[in-house]
Amino acid sequence: MPDNWGFVAAAYALAAIVLGAYWRMLVRKERELNALRTGAGPGQTGTNGKTGVSNAKAGALRP
Amino acid sequence: MTTLLGWLAALGLVAGLVMGFGVAPREVTQGNVQRIMYVHVPAVWVAYLAFAVGLVASIAYLARRRPGADRLAHAACEVGTVFLGLNIATGAIWGKPTWGTWWTWDARLTSVAVVFVMFLAYLLLRGAIEDRERGARYAAVLGIVAALNIPLVHFSVYWWRTLHQPPSLLKPGSSTMPPVILAALLVNFAALALLGAYFVARRARVLAVEEEALA
Repeated sequence: MPDNWGFVAAAYALAAIVLGAYWRMLVRKERELNALRTGAGPGQTGTNGKTGVSNAKAGALRP
Repeated sequence: MTTLLGWLAALGLVAGLVMGFGVAPREVTQGNVQRIMYVHVPAVWVAYLAFAVGLVASIAYLARRRPGADRLAHAACEVGTVFLGLNIATGAIWGKPTWGTWWTWDARLTSVAVVFVMFLAYLLLRGAIEDRERGARYAAVLGIVAALNIPLVHFSVYWWRTLHQPPSLLKPGSSTMPPVILAALLVNFAALALLGAYFVARRARVLAVEEEALA
C-alpha cells in the first residue's frame, strides 16, 4: 500500500491547528480577564452610560 | 502546577512525535499512513477520560451544588469535545486512504458522532441559559446522559458489524500490538493526557475568574 504521507501530514497539521487554537483561546481569555481585574487594559477604557458596566468588562464577558 | 503541566505536555508532545515518526516502524499492511493512529487513538482516550471527569463532577454538582464542581464539569466536557472532534477528523483522514471513504454510517462512527453532537449541545446549553444555577443544573443532567453513551461507542464494534476495527488495547486479554508500536501509542497518550489536564486546569481557572467578574 502507498504511504500516503499527505494524509499523515494533514492529520498532524489539523491536530496542531485545533490544539494550538484552543490553547490560544484560553490564553487570550485569561489575559482579557486579568486586564479587567487589574483595571482597564489598552484600548479598554470608558463606561457604558446606561449600565455603568465598563466597556472592557462588557466586551470581555460577551460570549 | 498548571504551568508545570503545560511544560510536561510540551515535552511529552515532542517525545510523542519522536516515538511516532522516529522509533515506531513503518506498518507492513497500511504503510506510513498508520502513523495517524498515534494522534487518532490517544485523542479519543483523552476525550473518554475528560468525559469521565465531567460525569463525576456533574454528579458531584447535582449532589452538593458546589460551583467548583460545575466549573470542572464544564471545563472537562469542553476539552473532551475538542479531543473527540480531533479524533473524528483524524479518523476521517485515515479512513480515506485505508477504507476508500472519509465517512460511513457504521455503528462506531455513528455512535461517536451522536456523542459529539450531544456534547456540542451541552456547550450550547451552557451559553443559552442566563440563570447560572439553572444552566449548571441542566448542563449537569445533559453531561451525565451524554457521558453514559461512551460505553455504547466503545462496544459498538462488538455489538454490530462495522467497518471500524475492534479495539487493539482496551479489550479483554493481552495486546496483539508489537511492543514498539504500543510504546509509541502510550507515549502519545501520556502527552495528550497531560495536555488535556493542562487545558482543563486552565479552562476551569478562566471560568472561575469569569464568575468572579460577573458577581
